[in-house]
Amino acid sequence: MTTKTADSVSGPFVATRNACKLCTPLGACLAFAGVEGARTILHGSQGCATYIRRYMISHFKEPVDIASSNFSEHATIFGGRDNLRAGLANVTRQYQPEVIGIATTCLAETIGEDVGMYLHEIRNHPSPDDPAIPPVVHVGTPSYCGTHAEGYLATVHALVSQLAEGGSHHEHINVFPNMFSPADLRYLKEICADFGLPLTLLPDYSDTLDGPTWEEYQLIPQGGTPLAAVRRTGQARSSIEFTCVHGEKASAGEWLEERFGVPNHRLPVPIGIQASDALFDVLGSICGSETPARHAAERGRLIDSLIDGHKYLFERRAVVFGEEDLVAGIVGLLGELGVDPVLCASGGDSGRLRSAIARMVPDRADRIQVRQATDFADLEELAGDLKPDILIGNSKGYWLSRRLNVPLVRIGFPIHDRVGGARMLHVGYRGAQQLADRIVNTLLESIQEQSDEGYSYL
Amino acid sequence: MRKVAIYGKGGIGKSTTTQNTVAALAEMGKKVMVVGCDPKADSTRLLLNGLAQKTVLDTLREEGEDVELEDIRMEGFGNTLCTESGGPEPGVGCAGRGIITSINLLEQLGAYHEDEQLDYVFYDVLGDVVCGGFAMPIREGKAQEIYIVCSGEMMAMYAANNICKGIRKFAEAGGVRLGGLICNSRKVDNEAEMIDEFAKRLGSQMIHFVPRDNDVQRAEIRKMTVIDWNSTCAQADEYRMLARQVDDNDQFVIPEPLSIEELESLLLDFGVLEAAAA
Repeated sequence: MTTKTADSVSGPFVATRNACKLCTPLGACLAFAGVEGARTILHGSQGCATYIRRYMISHFKEPVDIASSNFSEHATIFGGRDNLRAGLANVTRQYQPEVIGIATTCLAETIGEDVGMYLHEIRNHPSPDDPAIPPVVHVGTPSYCGTHAEGYLATVHALVSQLAEGGSHHEHINVFPNMFSPADLRYLKEICADFGLPLTLLPDYSDTLDGPTWEEYQLIPQGGTPLAAVRRTGQARSSIEFTCVHGEKASAGEWLEERFGVPNHRLPVPIGIQASDALFDVLGSICGSETPARHAAERGRLIDSLIDGHKYLFERRAVVFGEEDLVAGIVGLLGELGVDPVLCASGGDSGRLRSAIARMVPDRADRIQVRQATDFADLEELAGDLKPDILIGNSKGYWLSRRLNVPLVRIGFPIHDRVGGARMLHVGYRGAQQLADRIVNTLLESIQEQSDEGYSYL
Repeated sequence: MRKVAIYGKGGIGKSTTTQNTVAALAEMGKKVMVVGCDPKADSTRLLLNGLAQKTVLDTLREEGEDVELEDIRMEGFGNTLCTESGGPEPGVGCAGRGIITSINLLEQLGAYHEDEQLDYVFYDVLGDVVCGGFAMPIREGKAQEIYIVCSGEMMAMYAANNICKGIRKFAEAGGVRLGGLICNSRKVDNEAEMIDEFAKRLGSQMIHFVPRDNDVQRAEIRKMTVIDWNSTCAQADEYRMLARQVDDNDQFVIPEPLSIEELESLLLDFGVLEAAAA
């Protein structure tokens, strides 16, 4: 059970009102979507698959198929082994996937479903009528003890720990991103290519969840990390992973280091200049070269733009909410912009958000109110008194923005009241540039809107 | 119709005591239905002279919603009506949810309807009240009176005290009451006195002390209740006495569970100290 930390919402129990987090298996579905030829089965109630599909489709604007083992009352009482067996057979027949991911819903977890045992039985005693099932990766994702971010990281860990193979080490590196946008993933691949580093990016949904228009419907969208590449993560020369709030238990990089001796570099999400510098430094140290010229040039333009934007941003007050790693990353960027993050909040409850923030902005961390295990009702009560100039977070903050009459800069996931969530950049110098420009422009727009005069020159 | 639930530590003799008492009630001319709430489905074995052929949940699984009352209810000793909820194999699924489904189905099928002219329904519930499902028989509108089978052994009393905590919660919300403790003797020192005192401290009563007698095993091995096997033996009269006490009972209370310290001191005062002195 999660223990409440000092920054957690506490006091007498109040039901969560509009959670500032999403369901744990949603993160699993996102991660599985980044494996080539993969299909996901949610083991448990059918509505969970519907909810997750709805969220992912509204954000990515792409078709998202998620199967469900569809528990009835019968499966709930007797266990879902038969449902899982039928689900695996149906998905194999229908999609012919190269790998099947299984994540669990709360119902399956609560009745204690042992998916590992079921898979063992299904493999050892196959039904003669059923097709041979492809490799299966399973992850337990009860939503009542976790968030979508934890489900995502647990799934990356499950993929690696259930598929990776050891062997002599090769030239490639592993990069385990966090819940980044497809645009972020494409950019990470571009950066590694510019360093001349062969890369296994896991997961990679940059094509599967942000692809071109099809002439004909594709059962499984093209793209994703190939199964063979997932297996080879155990033979990489190094891993880089981006999280500083989640523990070793959920870490694919730590697991590979311990198991196969692949050195792991654990970095904060590379949002803002310093965090991006840390990524470029690690990449440079792995291959023994300087930051490629065009990226150095992007960094230079970014710093120039921050100087230009500083007069609009200095001492502006921001409220940041979302996944803990993302929030910590954004705080790093805000520190560089001169913006005061007055409240940093997450529905996650790792207990490490404060230390992650202190790492990003050591000189001002004690002035920032940090809130874990929050919901939007709690957030609204806190944010109103802080008189913020800007809110930074996902679309679920729209009502907060509307009620407080404070503009919202949409980042992360989900963004379902704007287009382009998949194309939005957050990471690296280019991502920092886009975020900085959007933050400045949102503030300028707000100044114009709230002014009685129609200043056209700001 | 009186609705009775029997709880108690696993292995204490709930099913044996329930069926022997039900046999005595049947002998008195009472119309009784027994609902076994244990996935093992062995709560009606003695009344049916063998295990029930099909449990409620098995039938539901095989026949879908199209279930008749006759499919899941069998007639046993003395015209008693016997049903078994059944449930999943050990280690999988959710037996608690099974109990809920099963009792709901029995209600839907009219098993408790006035036309059935039942005097008693007995719910024989597995072990502790481990989760919400196993509390189903004592939720609102279900069993109104509970008897806890216990002995003078510490863990049996500990379990009984724990069950009282559960009863308290449901009593405040739904109206279920504790009818008393049934002491199923394990020949512990001062057992009757200790359980009598324990029951009083809980605010209840020891409704009967059932002595240990190998005739119970003799009957059981023949898949029979004691009355069915040998209606003239002394143990048969014990169960007749228990049945009468239950039938005449008018003491229904919300129990006051003891603190662990109180419970342990009770054991010291009545049991262990005596033994230590001797």
